[in-house]
Amino acid sequence: MAVIEVKNLTKDYKVNKKGKGLGGAIKNLFVREKTIVHAVKDLSFTIEKGEIVAFIGPNGAGKSTTVKMMSGILNPTSGQVLVNGKDVAKKRKEVVMDLGVVFGQRTQLNWDLRLGESFELMKRIYQIPDERYKENLKVMDDILGINEIIDIPVRQLSLGQRMRGDLVAAMLHSPSVLFLDEPTIGLDVDGKYAIRKFIKEINRVKGTTVILTTHDLGDIQELCERLIIINNGELMEDGPLQEVTERIAPFKTLVVEFYDGEAGVHPKAELFYHEGNIAKYRFRKADITAAQLIEEISSAKEIKDVSIEEASIDDIIRIAYHGSNEKI
Amino acid sequence: MLSGIRHYTSVTLAYLKLSILTVFEYPANMIGWLISNPLQFIVGFATIQFVVKEFGDIAGWNYGQLAFLYGLAIISHALSMIFFVQGWFMGYSVIEGDFDRYLLRPMSVLYQFCFTQFNLIGITDLIPGLCVFIYGCIQVGFVFNLRNILALVAILVGATFIRGGVYIAIGSSSFWSKSIVDFGGYTQELFDKTTMYPLSMYPESVQFILTFIIPIGWVSFYPAAELMGISTDAFMPGAAPLISLGAGALVFAVASVVFYAGLKKYESAGN
Repeated sequence: MAVIEVKNLTKDYKVNKKGKGLGGAIKNLFVREKTIVHAVKDLSFTIEKGEIVAFIGPNGAGKSTTVKMMSGILNPTSGQVLVNGKDVAKKRKEVVMDLGVVFGQRTQLNWDLRLGESFELMKRIYQIPDERYKENLKVMDDILGINEIIDIPVRQLSLGQRMRGDLVAAMLHSPSVLFLDEPTIGLDVDGKYAIRKFIKEINRVKGTTVILTTHDLGDIQELCERLIIINNGELMEDGPLQEVTERIAPFKTLVVEFYDGEAGVHPKAELFYHEGNIAKYRFRKADITAAQLIEEISSAKEIKDVSIEEASIDDIIRIAYHGSNEKI
Repeated sequence: MLSGIRHYTSVTLAYLKLSILTVFEYPANMIGWLISNPLQFIVGFATIQFVVKEFGDIAGWNYGQLAFLYGLAIISHALSMIFFVQGWFMGYSVIEGDFDRYLLRPMSVLYQFCFTQFNLIGITDLIPGLCVFIYGCIQVGFVFNLRNILALVAILVGATFIRGGVYIAIGSSSFWSKSIVDFGGYTQELFDKTTMYPLSMYPESVQFILTFIIPIGWVSFYPAAELMGISTDAFMPGAAPLISLGAGALVFAVASVVFYAGLKKYESAGN
């Protein structure tokens, strides 16, 4: 069943054009020239129950605007978002009962007080029955060890601990959908590990649908079965990580170590890096197999060592952002 | 309906508890306000005392009557500070995207905006208010019988909502302007000048506006006059406390319409 349906979602902003200098400023008072900025253009997709979906795209691509429309913070200019069949813009209170939202750069915890006070408040705001509250806290403690920090004032928590607190606060009312806006931003290795483990666990145990925006390649690699790439407010790619890779970066890299500084060449592979004895070739899987390429290069020039690299997520994102015409 | 009331009451109590805990977390803060805030009103009242001594009275109101009016005005000011001071700073909330969180929670956005943080510092304004008011009561021989107490409660509730409604309606302009303007200074000036002195000292056109258009006259002037038996241009003797209450409901209802119209323009904040 579709948990989220996004239909022709569009968001325009009106921006006043500013004239130059004092003359322009005075002119602006009387004649307002408005430019329309299309932040999100005609976006449509569906997310099924239990999916973990990553939204990626450069800064200003429209990711946050889309997530904010999906969670009811912003009203779309046109189009609609249905969460569990309900229109977010029309039934805000009903819809948000079933949403958990965490912004990596902002907290919903009460800064001055012990972490537990914020949880108690959530219990009342979402009218969580005692039993479910205790049970959820226990689950959260098992995954995130939240009881260790529950009595510490939020202002004294490290960023990683605070993020754990925010995740718990967002999940106490057992929402079926969890939105995470850059959840691992600024965290150290342990912090990232804990957050990713949490996301995987609640997805597995509770079947929570997770939608996250991130710039972190590790997040995508470890968590997401599905990738949605947005750029200039438009949907660029949508599909499983493997499929998107095949489609937009159907190449591999062959790294060869020679015995001297001279590298061999091959008509079906592009030599894009050569320093010292090391040379890197990029080739399309459709053009030639790795085995063939190694064989043909080594027949012309003696090879000491080889390794093969798949297109990295880095490459995929770069291509998606800049278009496939650009030299990689 | 009943479960709704229970829900909001339970959350309100939780917010109150958190606000109290926060005050205890920073006790020095409270002490600072406890010294500076009452001082402001005591000095204000001393000014009135000086004027009355020099000129005899203000618009026919003697010293005791002025104390009664001044005290009543400060008490409702203090109450409005406790519940609705956020209206003064709405520009910050709009620019910084505070409404994101309110929109994500299954409760009224206006309710959350007003009550997420009780401003308990406002209590420091209550102290001078009560002192001056009780002094005024003694001077004019005001009797605390059941009828008068009920009337006072109605007046204070109405007055607090009139003030709060005006703060929120003015603050809501930030949704359109999208700029940070601190409305506190202007708003307090407006209310100080119109609620602490008899309205009858102003030209009739001003009186008309403050009676019918922006009904600030019902915050303190008309009800105080009636409780002390001073005749004003206001009609219907005996009805002033109820009119205050009604004006409070009306102003707040208008403010809430303006607020929600503004909220539609809300654009959140970039990262």
